[in-house]
Amino acid sequence: MTDTGSWLGDYALTLSHWLLVAGAVAGAVLLTYFLLTKLGVKRESATGIALIMPWVLGFLIFSLFPFLASFYLSFTDYNILRPISLEKLPPLVGFRNYVYAFTEDPNFWPSIRLTLLNGAIGIPLGMAGSLFTAMLLARNVKGVGIWRTIYYLPAVLPAAAMALLWRWMFNPSNGLINTILSPVLWLFGWDKPGWFTDTNLVLPSYVIMGMWGIFGTTTVILLAGLKNIPSDLYEAATIDGAGKVGQFRNVTIPMLTPTLFYVLVTSMIASLQLFTVALFIQTPRSAGQFLNVYIWQQAFGAQKMGYASALAWILMVMTLILTLLVFRSSSLWIYYESEVRQEKPPGARKRGLFGGLRATQQASGAEGTVGGGH
Amino acid sequence: MKPRTFSTFSLMIAVIMLLTACGDSGTPATAPTNTAPAAAATQPGPAGATDVPATSAPSGNKTKVILTTWAGADEAKELQVVIDKVNASATDFEIVHQPNPADYYTKIQTMIAGNTAPDLMWLSQEYVANYADNGAVLDLTDMLGKMSDMPAAKLDDYYPGTLEVARYNGKLWGLPWIAAPVMLYYNVDAFQKAGINPPDESWTWDTFKDAAKKLTVKDASGNVTQYGTSFNGWPPVHMFIWQAGGEVLSADLKSSPIDSSEAVQGEQFYKDIVFSPDYAVPEAVIKEQGFGEMAKAGKVAMFFGGAADDLDYAHAKDPKNADLKIALVPKGPKSRTTFAYTAVTVASARTKNPEITTKALAALTDGIHHWKVLAPRKSLATVDVISASVPGKKDSAPIIIKAAEDMRGFRNVPRQAEWDTIFWESFQDLLYHDKGTAADLAKTARPKLEEVLPK
Repeated sequence: MTDTGSWLGDYALTLSHWLLVAGAVAGAVLLTYFLLTKLGVKRESATGIALIMPWVLGFLIFSLFPFLASFYLSFTDYNILRPISLEKLPPLVGFRNYVYAFTEDPNFWPSIRLTLLNGAIGIPLGMAGSLFTAMLLARNVKGVGIWRTIYYLPAVLPAAAMALLWRWMFNPSNGLINTILSPVLWLFGWDKPGWFTDTNLVLPSYVIMGMWGIFGTTTVILLAGLKNIPSDLYEAATIDGAGKVGQFRNVTIPMLTPTLFYVLVTSMIASLQLFTVALFIQTPRSAGQFLNVYIWQQAFGAQKMGYASALAWILMVMTLILTLLVFRSSSLWIYYESEVRQEKPPGARKRGLFGGLRATQQASGAEGTVGGGH
Repeated sequence: MKPRTFSTFSLMIAVIMLLTACGDSGTPATAPTNTAPAAAATQPGPAGATDVPATSAPSGNKTKVILTTWAGADEAKELQVVIDKVNASATDFEIVHQPNPADYYTKIQTMIAGNTAPDLMWLSQEYVANYADNGAVLDLTDMLGKMSDMPAAKLDDYYPGTLEVARYNGKLWGLPWIAAPVMLYYNVDAFQKAGINPPDESWTWDTFKDAAKKLTVKDASGNVTQYGTSFNGWPPVHMFIWQAGGEVLSADLKSSPIDSSEAVQGEQFYKDIVFSPDYAVPEAVIKEQGFGEMAKAGKVAMFFGGAADDLDYAHAKDPKNADLKIALVPKGPKSRTTFAYTAVTVASARTKNPEITTKALAALTDGIHHWKVLAPRKSLATVDVISASVPGKKDSAPIIIKAAEDMRGFRNVPRQAEWDTIFWESFQDLLYHDKGTAADLAKTARPKLEEVLPK
């Protein structure tokens, strides 16, 4: 820690460090440009590549290096209190951290269970709620712009503020939820549920809290998806005698599947990486912890940075596998218009779940350019 | 981009580089007044903690010593007054305070990992063995031995139970700056209404339990309007185990005899009261209404709290607070040992000037001892010193001083965080929630606890 003794000196010192970094980055940009032009790369291309060097450097230093370092550390017994250097690397322990997690750590599987269950229950419910809200907001009613803005507000709230808000809402004695429920509870003679304090209610509480995610980004994305469905498809479906439910099932859902796929993947990753909210809301230990919180506790509470790195890589692989499974399943349930145009005539090969929509498109002769909108 | 433009740009970069190179004063311009003394070579081996100098740089004739604490805004202001006094009388160092009230341990651990640890830092007692074992903090044994002319460096002046938390492996790693013994707070009005004499030195576990039952008051419909007492994991069950003559960690740190007959006696006493509606506030109610808030509102007749909690004169600050008084904790079968929340100031193992840093630590500790209640030193355990530090504590001071004679902190091991987690999950939590008898639960938990002890 350096300190020059006066605020002016400290400021100058800090400024000099900043300038040094800026100079180094600028030097890297120039060097890249000169090297590329020397190698015969077109000047325009060299300028473009040189100008993205700040981002590339940032990625290498702040993303790729920690990423690789954590992989290496996951095979070590690294304790954060023992500074490491190239001369003094933490002792290698092979796969011991991974073996310990899967076979001995009593907190590992409960953490996996809570993390996965929260996603498995919360994501479908959240997506259904988001779709319902998006459909409401897609209607051309008076003041819809204001409604859309209001419904997007949760997306700009900090996660910590949201956690504190929900902690109050779930407060057993004077929280909003129990206050609303109190007539029902009184009628049946039930006690007020201790949402985050009752081991059995921790998961439902998190799932309910996750419904907050209905509003905000997911709804806006689905709203955009809904607005991109060509109206002539609905007209054709109406002519064919389809009611509102039929239109929803045979037009809206199939046309929205690419958007739903995107929302599913991002929601799944976000659910697996849940951290801030879980850190702010204390729950009984016996109810389990979210994996990300457990990783943080191992890294900074038990100082087992090596083990925490292994857990982080397990989470990464788990996320990768689940994402790959969703991608692999996409051909079964995602409908891409561009694929229809390239396919053989209907009936030649049955593919996917949405033959109905294809029939509607054939009947309407819709080109169905995604993005055409209303 | 044209070559000329690039050349201009390059020239500009060169000028910046030149300027920044001149401005970088990472290396001190003046030699330290005290360069690394021989003591540095005597630092412990783990992790080779002393091979890289790190922190302070001289400022004029004084060496800067960086102090990091968890002090919040108000506490930091008070501490700055203490630091200013220490700095004014120091000739060779100047302490610079850098408070980190949020997420303190994550930050200092990251600083240590990044080789930018502060020279001095506060640690709660349970971290000392861990930091010492990993070579993150400086062994002060020899250096403090040479500074016995400094009041805070006179080790025999400390209450033994508080200094013990700063020791590990026979060495001293820091100096306690606060030791707040657990006291029994009681609501004067509730005792008068129930016709019970206030707690005094004659009180035992039985007296306490009887009073808690009598002080639990219900209205006509059976709803509790006042609870006798309140346990919520605080005070730690360790205190009652000690009072019964047991231990949770043996002196050599090799065993956790929580299943000894003495320990079980203490555990059972705690279990009988905690969350029991006959004596204490149920868990859900504590979580809903808050431990301290219920006490201030007069909903609890007596409860345990630290001497530094200042609840004994809370009514003077706000008349809405219950009129609480302070008493010694009830006596157990073997002793009246009380737990002391103890925090320690330690020095970084990578401090550039270990001797100066240790001197600053001793001077700062003495300053804090005249600020915080209770100073863990016998010579400062007087009514005058306590009331000079916190005037509101004048009436309580004699009882706090009496409690100090029986106070002690935890014994700690390097893997304390893991030990604590096992103790909570495999024993304490189950005990509190009536998942078995104290003897059975202790017997099951003991091997798990001993797995993380030093071999």
